[in-house]
Amino acid sequence: MSANLKKQFFQPYTGEKARISRAYDYLILVLALFLFIGSFHLHFALTVGDWDFWIDWKDRQWWPLVTPLMGITFPAAVQMVMWEKFRLPLGATLCVAALSIGTWIARIFAYHYWNFFPINMVLPSTMLPSALVLDVILMLSNSLTVTAILGGSAFALLFYPSNWPIIGMFHEPVQYANGQLTVADLFGFQYIRTGMPEYLRIIERGTLRTYGQYATPLSAFCSALLCTLMYTLWWYIGKWFATVRYLTKI
Amino acid sequence: MKTLFIKFMVLLSLALSLNTQTANAHGEKALEPFIRMRTIQWYDVQWSTQKFAVNEEIIVSGKFHVAEDWPVSVPKPDAAFLNISTPGPVLIRTERYLNGKPYTNSVALQPGGDYSFKIVLKGRLPGRYHIHPFFNLKDAGQVMGPGVWLEIAGNADDFRNEVKTINGEVIDMETYGLSNGIFWHIFWGALAAGWLLWWVRRPLFIARYRMLQAGLEDELVTKQDKLIGKVILIGVPLLVLGANWMTINQYPKAIPLQASLDQILPLSAQVNAGVVEVDTLKAEYRIPERAMTFLVKINNKSDKPIQIGEFATANVRFLNKAVSMPISDNTDTMIAPEGLSVDNPAPIESGEERTMTIIAKDALWESEKLDGLIRDSDSRIGGLLVFYDSSIGERFISSITAPVIPKFN
Ligand SMILES: [Cu+2]
Repeated sequence: MSANLKKQFFQPYTGEKARISRAYDYLILVLALFLFIGSFHLHFALTVGDWDFWIDWKDRQWWPLVTPLMGITFPAAVQMVMWEKFRLPLGATLCVAALSIGTWIARIFAYHYWNFFPINMVLPSTMLPSALVLDVILMLSNSLTVTAILGGSAFALLFYPSNWPIIGMFHEPVQYANGQLTVADLFGFQYIRTGMPEYLRIIERGTLRTYGQYATPLSAFCSALLCTLMYTLWWYIGKWFATVRYLTKI
Repeated sequence: MKTLFIKFMVLLSLALSLNTQTANAHGEKALEPFIRMRTIQWYDVQWSTQKFAVNEEIIVSGKFHVAEDWPVSVPKPDAAFLNISTPGPVLIRTERYLNGKPYTNSVALQPGGDYSFKIVLKGRLPGRYHIHPFFNLKDAGQVMGPGVWLEIAGNADDFRNEVKTINGEVIDMETYGLSNGIFWHIFWGALAAGWLLWWVRRPLFIARYRMLQAGLEDELVTKQDKLIGKVILIGVPLLVLGANWMTINQYPKAIPLQASLDQILPLSAQVNAGVVEVDTLKAEYRIPERAMTFLVKINNKSDKPIQIGEFATANVRFLNKAVSMPISDNTDTMIAPEGLSVDNPAPIESGEERTMTIIAKDALWESEKLDGLIRDSDSRIGGLLVFYDSSIGERFISSITAPVIPKFN
């Protein structure tokens, strides 16, 4: 049967069938939301971890490198499924929105109410602007290659400028103990973390330091390059997971 | 699917327990005894008070000697952080001093060095907590100092923590930047929700899958969708860069997170100061009696007769009853008041060199899990031997060390 014939004979669902199909939509959406809130948040906490928990870990070198790189994983896989199977360009936004919800829940309950940290010390970062751009690039290009290269890069490059309006004011200097600290550093000193000594923070180390003042743009471009690869990798992971075995009879 | 779910739940509970570790990791006795005895040797730790209210400040101060015989399996203390064990920030650390110098970062400690410290803490959450000063040692763990129960009274809502930035602006650390952060999350959240709803309002999975299979791709992504996509593609980066540019201009003095260590040199020698020299010839631990016997050669180079008053290690103090020195200790340090005895109680005269046997005997060796030493890969003991002159006017401290030989009967 040719494509044109297929088109001609296509009958949209109506009546009861349409209602059931719509109910199924909502069921899947709600399940997906909870699944992503749980799994993506867990994945993120285990991989990015401290870089995203604490205001005094959000440095200009490692944080903009690691966070987008780990943040693009689930969006790539879910985008693949949503786009290839349903032409829905919302995989990345859905994932990152779920991550944001999960992160906020954890920060408020686990960090603030359970462990007494002020919420501003554990403010989550946002990747929603990155995710929106990633989704529309996929929709407009309909191409894995273009999305991986342009979308992956945009995802990484937009990360630090999206978050500077949130964290910038925490980088105001404070004179303290005969030296200068940022407000963020002062949080780390004042609000006692028993399991986390100052030396555990991995900030400003390694060869990227050589470029001095340009640490952030360099990290962001490095992250952009890695994100293109990571995107492609997770696209195929998504493909491997998404089987249409159960859909053949519809 | 079921196993996947179980795996997921296990991982989830694991992640949650990771989150809460900060609250309960006390581990005073968890660390191997040789690390507790031969790294940071605390003494004279004092708490200014144990009952205070929210917003009131207390001081914990004390001294420590960094053992010369630092265990080879523990990395040298090139970055050590003097910390406070608390169940979360129930109090905040407002000031910290090492050898009188204020400091905020980690420091390199020198084996054999002597240090005095002072930490100022301010009550934040009412309650009763067990609190210790302790050292985070890189790749080794937490070497606890003597703890106390602190009782914080008052109302958590009264807590204030105001700080002046370098511009002279006074900020409240409890709420600084919070509403701004929430604003940006809501702003981007609303845009994302709009994009999701734009798609979700149409029939989704089954309908779209069927249409895609039927080749009706053009109807799935309309011209209008594409137009909105283009607006997002241009608009979102413009918004991001614009907001970023405004923030940069609003906070032109912003600096990167600070990453330096502090540099603080040890005090002039307090322990092993060369006045009373001690050489530990032998150490034996008799398991049934729970008694550590030291054979030591003591050379009194001071101008006074001296007596052995105490052996202290890993927050356990074995005292010599025969020497009645003042015990000013309001911490939970374990004290064996009659734990120390010597074979020759006569004072060691000025200029005298004497070899003598000292026995530190108490069940605390076992209850504090220090006897595990004899089964460890490093079974060397360390601790502070404290001498007093006969008028209890002056004190001489030696940090001693020796391999321990177990005696099973
Ligand atoms: Cu304790």
